[in-house]
Parts: sequence; structure tokens; C-alpha cells
Amino acid sequence: MTLTVPTRKPPTNDTPVFSVSGLWKVFGPKPRRIPDDPELAALEPADLRARTGCTAAVRDVSFDVRKGEVFVVMGLSGSGKSTLVRCLTRLIEPTAGTISIDGEDVRAMDKTRLRDLRRHRAAMVFQHFGLLPHRTVLDNVAYGLEIQGVGKAERRERAAEVVAKVGLEGMEHRRPAQLSGGQRQRVGLARALAVDPEVLLFDEPFSALDPLIRRDMQDEVARLHREEGRTMVFITHDLAEALKLGDRIALMRDGKVVQLGSPEEIVGSPADDYVREFVRDVPREQVMTVRTAMKPGACGGPEHPGALAPDAVVVDAIRTVAETGAAACVVEDGTCVGTVDHELLLDVVAGVDVGVPGPRTSPEAV
Amino acid sequence: MATLTVPASRTNIPRLLKSRTAAKLLLLALVTAVLLPLLHGGSWPHDLTVSLDKPLTGASNWVIDNRDSHPLFLYFFGYISNAVVLSVRAVYLTLLAAGWTGVTAFGALLAWRVAGPRLAAGTAIAFLACGALGMWVPTMQTLALMVVAVLASVVVGALLGLAAGLSDRLDRALRPVLDTMQVLPAFAYLLPVVLVFGIGVPAAVLATVVYAAPPMARLTALGLRGADPEVLEAVESLGATRRQRLLTARIPLARGELLLGLNQTIMMALSMAVIASVIGAGGLGDRVYQALASVDVGQALAAGIPIVLLAIVLDRVTGAAGDGTSRPKTIGRAYALAVTVAVALAARLLGRLDWPSGWTLNIAEPVNRAVDWMTNHLYSGVPVIGGTADWAGHFTTWILDPVRGGLQWLPWWSVLLIVAALAWTIGTWRTALTAVLAMAAIGVLGVWDPALDTLSQVLAAVAVTLVLGFATGIAAARSDRVERALRPVLDVFQTMPQFVYLIPVVALFGVGRAPAVAAAVVYALPAVVRITAQGLRQVDPAALESARSLGATGRQQLWQVQLPLAKRSLLLAVNQGVVLVLAVVIIGGLVGGGALGYNVAFGLAQGDLATGLVAGGAIVCLGLMLDRVTQPTERRATKGA
Repeated sequence: MTLTVPTRKPPTNDTPVFSVSGLWKVFGPKPRRIPDDPELAALEPADLRARTGCTAAVRDVSFDVRKGEVFVVMGLSGSGKSTLVRCLTRLIEPTAGTISIDGEDVRAMDKTRLRDLRRHRAAMVFQHFGLLPHRTVLDNVAYGLEIQGVGKAERRERAAEVVAKVGLEGMEHRRPAQLSGGQRQRVGLARALAVDPEVLLFDEPFSALDPLIRRDMQDEVARLHREEGRTMVFITHDLAEALKLGDRIALMRDGKVVQLGSPEEIVGSPADDYVREFVRDVPREQVMTVRTAMKPGACGGPEHPGALAPDAVVVDAIRTVAETGAAACVVEDGTCVGTVDHELLLDVVAGVDVGVPGPRTSPEAV
Repeated sequence: MATLTVPASRTNIPRLLKSRTAAKLLLLALVTAVLLPLLHGGSWPHDLTVSLDKPLTGASNWVIDNRDSHPLFLYFFGYISNAVVLSVRAVYLTLLAAGWTGVTAFGALLAWRVAGPRLAAGTAIAFLACGALGMWVPTMQTLALMVVAVLASVVVGALLGLAAGLSDRLDRALRPVLDTMQVLPAFAYLLPVVLVFGIGVPAAVLATVVYAAPPMARLTALGLRGADPEVLEAVESLGATRRQRLLTARIPLARGELLLGLNQTIMMALSMAVIASVIGAGGLGDRVYQALASVDVGQALAAGIPIVLLAIVLDRVTGAAGDGTSRPKTIGRAYALAVTVAVALAARLLGRLDWPSGWTLNIAEPVNRAVDWMTNHLYSGVPVIGGTADWAGHFTTWILDPVRGGLQWLPWWSVLLIVAALAWTIGTWRTALTAVLAMAAIGVLGVWDPALDTLSQVLAAVAVTLVLGFATGIAAARSDRVERALRPVLDVFQTMPQFVYLIPVVALFGVGRAPAVAAAVVYALPAVVRITAQGLRQVDPAALESARSLGATGRQQLWQVQLPLAKRSLLLAVNQGVVLVLAVVIIGGLVGGGALGYNVAFGLAQGDLATGLVAGGAIVCLGLMLDRVTQPTERRATKGA
């Protein structure tokens, strides 16, 4: 099965960390028959439920998670995103499809291999933290190491390092009940980091937190990603969070991926009305880059006034253009690849389609 | 929102409900009409009974003849019996060797460790009071029996609970059994163990274990199953094995339930250890039993007070251990042990192991004098209000006799019909079937009339309990002051073993059926009050607020919002009331309550196990029937006591 949604893969020889293809998870009696039968597989969720009593939480999903990226799966509640992330380490057993991690088939793993995967290669952070209430912060963080059989002194030492890394110094001996929500999630994060996994899986980690603390935690994750470059799979229902953290975003609806692409692609060229409705209120100037907004072609002059990087977001370009009062150049590797003026930038802000050549129409009119 | 209901739906919904109930009742009536020609009125027909006397007597004789020779007894029950006797004896001798000072010091320090200094002082005072009342040795006997029984119950209960917590199939199989065991009166457990082990300490310990292990099993399973699924998922996501998950997550997470299970097991073990005096448990219960048999209220009280003190101390200390989160300052384990040993050794060197005879306080005589005075002055002939014996007499002649007469006058099939109708209207056809079969089994066992006698006492006691309990519960729910005043009283009353309730009622009302009913009412009242008050207080405050904002008066709020919304709790209160009342009405057989309870006591006293076992079977059936008839479709959570 190939995706029907536009995906833009840069040519790369790296094997993906996670490679998922044709993944199904069906809850209900005799779940196997749904993916096997094309007629059943094509049914709408309500019809499927009425005819078979089954619910397909994940329907024929395929994607790759590349090394070092933050891959966000986003969707409203009930879209199957939490089931999907649990299938990755088989906390929920998938019904059909293949999952591989570093080329190794996850579904074919025996108990020991699977345990090994969970212990060393993929660690998860949960929405409601999932901390052990009877243990101190330090012992919670060290729990993953304890499960692996690491000795007490060593695991405590390593846990203390991670506790410091997530900014919880001095709270090592408190219990989860004595912490605030944000602090608890820092413990959850530290617990996952302590086992030094290849991939971090986040299941809506910040949706139970207050907005301010949520922003702090998002910054924390962004910082960790900058510093360590660890691969992350991040589940969220919050579009702003997805756009802020994600290198690529898979947007899910009713168990299907409806669009997979960079934040800019999702916002700039929504695959269908559902996605368009979803991203309608997004401040586009903060997501779109000047590469999309620019008029390609060199400026001709030697000076490159303004000199913007192609990855700069439009809001930065607006500042430059407003200050100079003239069009700005977009410069990549010392050469000018295009120019932006205030008209082009305003088009982005106004939501007029910029990526599509031809007569300009507003998305609402399509 | 009752006040917001539009007239149309007000007539529609009840009609719908009524029609379903009516259909059930109509069906029942139809079945009866078809069967009517085959049925005769009056008591349970003789040809439908099966006399179990002969086989039961045979079995009991066989057991008695073979107890010393058959391999089953020699190599199985014999070992159990010996192990029980040896361990009880060992604990008892240890307690005696520690002397009263050692035991008191140990108890107080243990209480200090788990529950803080206040309860430590309380524990010390309780032990000293036991000694001062001249009850040191019986207290130690009861304690020794309890220690062994509680340990065995905890082990058995925790293992069963662990199995049920880990395996769904076992859980499904065990749950109905445990639920049913929970509603049966303690008295019903006595006879089967006596049949196998004979009267004595092993039988008493085993009856106690059978009675006290179920709450441990239930709560262990509940705790293991109730663990936060996300925590378990997190543990699994880190790659924990099944064993690691159990040891590092599920069991620690179930700590609260496990300690609550321990608390309930200890309380039920105490309750049963006292009742088991009827089958040779000795100790405090035996003193109460003997004293009651000779209507010596003073002696009964002297033995009853230590029981109450033990109950309160055990409940508070284990309860405090269960709270657990904010631990008071405690003392070191080694320090506590050292002090105990030092105190015990000091007492031994001083030759003061036994409670000094000069320090005992004889309360029996003054109490008896007071009771005599009451008998002379308050029993009857008090102007205007009459005496307590008059009340008891009036209650018997005006309420108990007519109810019993009415029940026994009803044709037997109509009793079954009423049972079926009641159980079916509030439950499912399954509960109705169980209830009818249980009731019919009573008839088949040939104890229809005594069972109806017991039933009449239960009905009268339940009616009184519910009237008083609902009124008090409503008052407690509506006024914080009433609730604050009631809480300590309810706390104490809910911890006391069933047996001790007999003492004050015998002092007040003498012996007979009315005192048994009175004891049952007093025993069941706290649970009913508590459940009612809790139910009313848990009513959605938003619903109450909106009623108030529409200008509803207090009475309107109560009748139109609180009571309808608290219906589940009220039904639960009825169910609990019935179960608790039955337990004490049966024990009332010891103080002249007659009926099934008397049959059991008589069977035990006379060695006529057949009579006793048949009555015990009937009690089980009656308990089952009453529980099903009053049970809302969903299962209740835990027992009040």
C-alpha cells in the first residue's frame, strides 16, 4: 500500500528508524477479516461497526520515521493516534501490516527480543505520566534501569544525572504526589531518557498540563532534541504543538493518515477540506518559509539587500522588508535564489495560495 | 431534575416502567393461576420435604467413629488440627511468658510504630483495662486464637486474591462465592467445621479463617485489578517481565487495599473468635457466653468490655497503618523490640508475670446490683411510659406475633410468589430464580415454620432499623453538626463484634425474641445511617443548587432531588440492613430468640448435629434469599463493618 497523500522524501540512504507500512489495528470479534477483505476495509467506521461489530482504530497506515527527526502524529481524539504509537512497540498488538525498527521486523520478534526493544531502543512518555506513586522521583527515574537489572548504585547515579538534565535537582527524594503536573511529566521524561533509548515515544505528554507549563515543556523537548538529536515520535491533538515541534507531521482522521508532510506543507497545501478546515486559523506567517513565498530568480544586483535564509519564516521576512522598505533577497550558499516583496508576503498572511501557480484563488473558494 | 420535568414525560416514563414491572408480575400471576389447582394452602407440604436427619446423623456418627482411625482424618484433618492446636498453644504460651507487662509494652510500641503515640497510649490503656477487669488470661486466650486465625486468613485470603487478581477465569469463579460468603451469618459457618473437627480450638480457628479470609481475598483481587492502567502500561513499555510487573508495580500499588483487607480480616476474625466460643474457642467469648446463659449481666459486661476495647484498638491501629501517606514520627524497630524484651525480663525477674490479683476491679457485682435495681424499678410498672419488659412484651405481642402468624398463615406457594415478585422487580430473572430456589430449599429441608419465625423477626427488625436509620441518616446528611456528633459513635459501634450487642439488651429487656430484635437493630443501625447519609451527601451539588435557585424548599429538595438521586444508596442501605440484621437475629437464638438460631445452638449443645446442620443450611438459604430480594442489579462494593 502506498500513501495517497503527497509526501516529499528527500533522497537519503539512511534506513529509517521506524518503518511502518500497511498497519491495521482492529478492535472487535475476528479482527483479521477486516484488513483481508477489501470490501470491509473500504467501509466507513459507522458502517463497519454496524456490519461487523469491529472498530478499526488504525487503518492501513504507512510512514517512515527518519533518524534524528521529530515525527508528529496529530489528530483529534478517537483518530487512532494513541493506538498507533502503542503498536510501534506492540503494547497493543497490531492486526496487520509491518513495522520494522532499524530494518528489524518488530512483529516477528519473540518475547525476549521485544522486551529488549522496550528496554533499550524505544522509551515512552505518557499523557498521565504513569509514575509509581510509592517511589521517590529518583527511584521512578531509575525504574527502567532497575528492570534491566542495573545495580542500585549505578542506576541511581545515572538517574541523578538525568534528573538534573530535566531540571529537577533537589527533588530527588520527593514522591510524585508532592510534585506539580509539569514536574511529574519531567519525571516521566527523565524516566524515558534514563534508559538512553534510540527513539523517544511521546503519547500526548503535555495535554494534561496548564498552557504555560505546556509551553515550558515544549521548549524543554525542543532543547533536548537540539542537544541530543534523538529521534522522537510525538503524538498530540494540539496543532500548534505539532507545528512547533514537528519536522514532519502525519495528520490522522478516523484511523487513516490524511496528510503527511512538513508543517509548511500541511499549512500551505492542505490535502483535503478536512485538513484545510483544521489549519484555517493557523498564523501562516509563522509556519511558511520564504522559500515558498519568494519569487524565484536572482535579484541581479551584487548586494543582496536584506539577505534572508530560505528556511526563515515569513514573519521574519516581513520585519526585514518593513525595515528596508524594499524587496529582500533570499540567499542560499552565497547565491541569490529569489526575492520577496511585501505583496508576496501579504499573500502568505492573507492565505492566498502561493505554492500553486496560475490564477490566485483563496482556499475557501476551492 | 425533578422540578424541571415537563408534565408529558412525567406521565410517560413511569408508565413505561410500570408496564415492564406489570408484565413481570402478570407473568407470575399467570404461572400461579395455572399451577393453583395443584397447590394446597397452609404450611410447606410434608410430602415435599426431604428428611436429612438420618443421613446427617449417620455422617456425624461415622465421623465420630472414624475420627481416630480413618486415614482421611489421620493424615489430613488430623495434621491440620494438630498444627492449629500447636500454634495456638505456642502463641498463648509466648504471650504468658511475656507477662502482662511485656504484652502491654509490645502492643503499645507496635501501635506507636504504625500509628503514632496517641494510639500507643490507647493500646496500653486498653490492655491494662483488660487486666484490671480480671480478664487477662481470657484476653490472652482470645488473642492467641486470633493471631493464628488472622495469619492463616491473611495467607489464604492473599493467595486466593492473588490468583483472582491475575486470572480472569478464577476471578469470575471466585467472586460470586466470596460475595455470597459475605452475606451469610457467622453462625452458619460453625456447624460444618464442628462436624469434621469436633468441638474445640481447631474448629474455632478454622471457622474463623473461613469467615475472615474472604474480605482479604476480595480486597487483594480488587487492589490488583484496580491498579492504574497507565502506570501498568508505562511499566510494560519499559520492558518489565510479568514477575517484575507484579512485584514492583501491582502489589505496591495495591497497598491500600491490602491493608484495608488486613483490617477487615482482623475485625471479622475478632467477631468470629468471640462467637466461636459456642464451639469451644474459650477466652473472652466463652466468658460472655457462659454469663449470658445464666443471665449474669455483670460477668458478661466484664468480659464484653475487653472485647470492645480490643476491637477499637485493633481497628484504629490497622486503619492508621492503611492511611499510610503522612506517617507520624515513629520509633525504630530494634528499639521497640529491645524495650519489649527488657520489660518482659524485668517482670519475670520480679516474679510479676501474672496480673497482680490485688489490682483487679470487680465490676460484676455492682453491675449486677444495678441490673437488679433496674429489674425491680424499670422493668415494668413505671407510670405512663411503662417498663422495658413491658415494651418488649408489647413489641412481641403486637408486632412479632402478628407478623409471624401472618407469615405462617400464608399458603407456602404465596410466600414463594412474593419472594419471586420482589426479587424480579428489582433484579433480574436470575436473582429471582436464586431467591425462590433458596426459599424452596428451606421448605424441602423441613424447617419452614422456624424459618418463617426467624424471617418475622428479621422483617420487624429491618423495619425498625430502616425507619430509625433513614431518619438519622437524613438528619446527618442535612446538618453538619449532627454528623460530627454521630461520627465517633458510629465508628465505635461499627467496630464492635456482633456478640457483645447481646449484653446490654439482655440487661434491659431480659431474654426472648424482642431482645434479639433489639440487638439486631442496634447492630445494623450504624451501617444504615452511614450509607444513607453518604448517599444523600454525594448527590450532585449542581442538581441541588439548581433546585435551590428555582426556589425549592428544604422539604422539596429532599423529596424531589436528594432522595430520588440517592436511590441506589438507599437500596444498598436496605440490603446491608437486612444482611446485618439476619446475622444478629440468628445469634439471638442464644438469648431466647428461638427459631433457626436456637436450633443451631441446641444442635451444638446437645451434640445433635443433624438438627444443627439442617438449621444451618436453612440459615444459608434464608441469607441468600434475603440478599437477592433486596439486591439492586449491580453488586455493592464492600461490607460496612
